Amino acid sequence: MSSDNFKDLWNQQSTPAPDVKDFLGKAMQLKKKLRNKIILLNLLLIATAVFITGIVIYFHPQMITTKLGVLLIITGIVTFLVSNNRISKDLFKKNMDYSTKEYLDQFIRLKQKQEFIQKTMLNLYFILLTTGIILYMYEYASRMTTAGALTTYGVTLAWIALNWFYFRPQAIKKQLSKMNEIIGMLENANRNLEA
Amino acid sequence: MTFEEIYQAYWQKVFRICMGYVNDVDWAKDISQETFITVWQKLPEFRNESAIGTWIFRIASNQCLRQLEKQKRMPKSELPEQLEEKPENPNELQISFLYKCIAELNEIDRIIISLELEDIKQAEIATIVGISESNVRVKIHRIKEKLTEKFKQHEQR
Repeated sequence: MSSDNFKDLWNQQSTPAPDVKDFLGKAMQLKKKLRNKIILLNLLLIATAVFITGIVIYFHPQMITTKLGVLLIITGIVTFLVSNNRISKDLFKKNMDYSTKEYLDQFIRLKQKQEFIQKTMLNLYFILLTTGIILYMYEYASRMTTAGALTTYGVTLAWIALNWFYFRPQAIKKQLSKMNEIIGMLENANRNLEA
Repeated sequence: MTFEEIYQAYWQKVFRICMGYVNDVDWAKDISQETFITVWQKLPEFRNESAIGTWIFRIASNQCLRQLEKQKRMPKSELPEQLEEKPENPNELQISFLYKCIAELNEIDRIIISLELEDIKQAEIATIVGISESNVRVKIHRIKEKLTEKFKQHEQR
């Protein structure tokens, strides 16, 4: 088998190109879908903020701790949504026309950064949410009997502890193993490039 | 060049490159489509018309590499309609063997040999991939040796 034969065989593989009008229709649809997704996400963010502000206004909190708690909870939710918003992924698409080598380098760097951000963001989210809830509850718990307040805090803290010690490590572990697998494959491809 | 002209001129080439990378018709069509979506999105900013081929092949190669992120595609067994297709081309078996052999190479080699078989100059391949021309030449030589060896073994069976 000579290399001309390879070329000959190679060129016999063909598939009819989908109609360009169909293709453009699909591309437009995709663009619209992406835009709708961004709009929806922003609406969700606004709705969350409005809802929590509504609660604050409705219940007339007196203490600064309650307001601070609400603020922290909102910050936590916003942080989480934004970090999950695949901002980096969209940024990444801009450099689709790099050479393979540049693209791979950038791909690896991005994945490593993403790995760090995911872990940090998840921790930050939990810390903000936990502190926020504890502060928020203080005003209402202080009006309860001691036993009532202890129970309320006990149950809440137990739930938070379960999340922190069980669900959080699990989520991080899952993310990490997936990410490490991808980074491993990318680094391998990079080595093949140099070899 | 308008998008329509680019699409007509390059669809087949891009499809074959993607096919060399994944050896799965539907998957290759998907990657080709993603490639042309990027081309469509970025064409208004593209200025260097003389190197449009290089530009498109870079996007196609990178779209192929991106598949590393989504390796868990449905297994081919879930696509029964493809198995029923009767080979129309008498060389069908050899063609599919070639694509199978290429898909077994490492990611970088798959991209390089696909570009080479697409009759792209080695200097251009070097620009697309981002390695030196001599490195491209060495790699192509090695890959072709590997493929020839595989075909030899295949014919002996």
